[in-house]
Amino acid sequence: MSDYCEITLNRLLKFVRIAAAVLWSSTVVVGGAHGDQSVSTLRPGVVAGEIETVVEVHESIRQMLSRGDVPNSLEQLIAMENQQQRVASRVGQCTVNVAIGAAQGCGVIVTGDGYILTAAHVAMRPGKRATVTFQDGRTVAATTLGMNREVDAGLIRINDGQSSGIPWPHATLGRSESLRPGMWCIASGHPGGFERDRGPVTRVGRILKVRPNSIVTDCALIGGDSGGPLFDFAGRLIAVHSRIGNDVADNLHVPIDHYDKHWDALASGQAWGYLEGFKPMIGLRGSPSSATAIIDLVYEGSPADVAGFVRGDIVERFGEMTITDFKSLTTAVADTMPGERVICRVNRNGDQHRLVVEIGRADE
Amino acid sequence: MLPKLNSIFMFMPVRWLGLVMFVAAASVIGAVASAQDGDTEIPDWLQSRMSLRISHRRDNGDMIALVRPLAEKVGDSVVQIVSDGKPVALGVVVSSDGFVLTKRSELSADPIRVRLGDGRLQPARVAAVRRKSDLALLRVEGLSQPLSRVQFVDDSPPIGSFLISAGRGGVPVGIGVVGVGPRRVEHNGRLGVILDEQQGQATVSGVWPNSGAEAAGVAPGDRILAINGLRETTRSSVIRILRDVFPGESVRLTISRAGQTMEMDAKIREIGVMQETENDSKINGPRSARLSGFDQVIQHDTVLNPDECGGPVLNSRGQVIGINIARAGRVVSYALPSSIVMGDMVSMMNEARGNPVAIP
Repeated sequence: MSDYCEITLNRLLKFVRIAAAVLWSSTVVVGGAHGDQSVSTLRPGVVAGEIETVVEVHESIRQMLSRGDVPNSLEQLIAMENQQQRVASRVGQCTVNVAIGAAQGCGVIVTGDGYILTAAHVAMRPGKRATVTFQDGRTVAATTLGMNREVDAGLIRINDGQSSGIPWPHATLGRSESLRPGMWCIASGHPGGFERDRGPVTRVGRILKVRPNSIVTDCALIGGDSGGPLFDFAGRLIAVHSRIGNDVADNLHVPIDHYDKHWDALASGQAWGYLEGFKPMIGLRGSPSSATAIIDLVYEGSPADVAGFVRGDIVERFGEMTITDFKSLTTAVADTMPGERVICRVNRNGDQHRLVVEIGRADE
Repeated sequence: MLPKLNSIFMFMPVRWLGLVMFVAAASVIGAVASAQDGDTEIPDWLQSRMSLRISHRRDNGDMIALVRPLAEKVGDSVVQIVSDGKPVALGVVVSSDGFVLTKRSELSADPIRVRLGDGRLQPARVAAVRRKSDLALLRVEGLSQPLSRVQFVDDSPPIGSFLISAGRGGVPVGIGVVGVGPRRVEHNGRLGVILDEQQGQATVSGVWPNSGAEAAGVAPGDRILAINGLRETTRSSVIRILRDVFPGESVRLTISRAGQTMEMDAKIREIGVMQETENDSKINGPRSARLSGFDQVIQHDTVLNPDECGGPVLNSRGQVIGINIARAGRVVSYALPSSIVMGDMVSMMNEARGNPVAIP
């Protein structure tokens, strides 16, 4: 494959950090300076810069953007519009739809060798098969890697051998540490799931809040957008869509620095933590010391109760996982998301029963 | 009935759309509004943070002030449509003698009146309608002086372009950007019945929850005799007729139940809206009843209320490039491009003035 394989995200980020300084301080641009040239599909033989998303920031709006201000004239508004048109024309090629089973979310390719940033709840669990769909409808096979559920950051990689040796189009990486409220941003994604006749949908908004584990914007998101990219006005990836509140200005994104910080763990397929308010539970109790996953207690009204689990059942399978003892069951439950429906097999007095449990939230 | 219902849903794309909801998140605007009402529950530091947050929104006061001169240029030509005493839509003046274009499906009740740019409230009547585009041409009556009209410009701004939605009197009602280029949007309008055929006659075997059929009182066992007065007996002919009805439109059903013949009006609703959860419905907010089934629309992300549709959409140069035709969801507003609007406008004005017209 390409020599991109050797570069980890950490290294790429360091590279971009230097580039960013250049970008803000002079008109010299790294990568593709051909802002008007839209790269809508992967073309054979393109050089690295052209398959990235970075574009030059017009001088007349540079200071306004870095301060997080609004344009002071209609001329500046038009310069800004020009900028967002150029970024919008580039982000579609690396924004992908991610389907795992019946679930659909988004992802954004960040390296030529096919690493895809997404939300942890889109990737679900390490080692799952995913179908990645490009804006033109082409699909490739991918595998989920690790996930930091504490912040909802997930990683996927396109399986080798599908790119004919050509680097995948990918997002230029930015940093999230210097973001501040007021800054303008551009979101892409597939709201409502992939639609061939429509493709990805661009939205433009501003950063409303910067927190250590999330940033809030008024780029309106909805189901299906999760895992999609948020760019700054230079076309650099700054965050990944995660979740929303009822208000149209409550849209939460995972800051990109979290992926950098835990890159090795994510790339090696580790999964850990849970998002506050989203700790999975099914409502069973058993003994960690018993030789089987035998149920001592089913909490009344719990998801397990609703699913039909009874005391004395021995859990043998939980989704794709073979359950050997109660500890392995606990681990398997921790790997799910609230709302997910899991098919289980239990042994009840020597008979096998199939039960479907909808994962609940531990804090409800 | 229930098992049938489930089997219908199984044919729907089963998606667990990846997006976790924060239901607990409070509406910031609501909280600030109550603070202004003298509610001292919210501490000062929180209040200032909230107003700061509002001040950073894309459509904050500074941005609205910036684009206001563009909206003011067409301000005199933007009117508010009042139907049975309630504001239901905006409208665009297209001739100096009082023709106004608006969103047809919002004109549900008489009397129709029009509040002009200067505040006068004038009676109006529906002069022509186009079901396909959901446009209506109104004739404003009792005018003592000519109105100023807009000039449509056939322009298709690229993705990422700013769009400004102008309100009555030149007040911008929202700022957004083009999210998807012009495209056709199919509708998935459904009456909400599951049909069997018994002895060659369409028979209701199930009724979907939240459907127009349920609201109208259609029940399992009902036999459909006619739709809109036209005798339609077989299951396939009933389905074919219903397919041509847009969401937001009603059909008159003639039904035979236990030997009695009855008539009922039932509304066609978009299938996605019918099936969504209560939470989805909150997240999407209020939407237009007719929100799909357009030959060509520009999708943008301006946050609009349904009663803010029907008004002009401007590009960053202040040119009128179309008319907002639907609020379709949390992330979706649709505008009809000028090319579609102008075609329908000309044919409707000809029709209203009694000139010969070629019906499209």
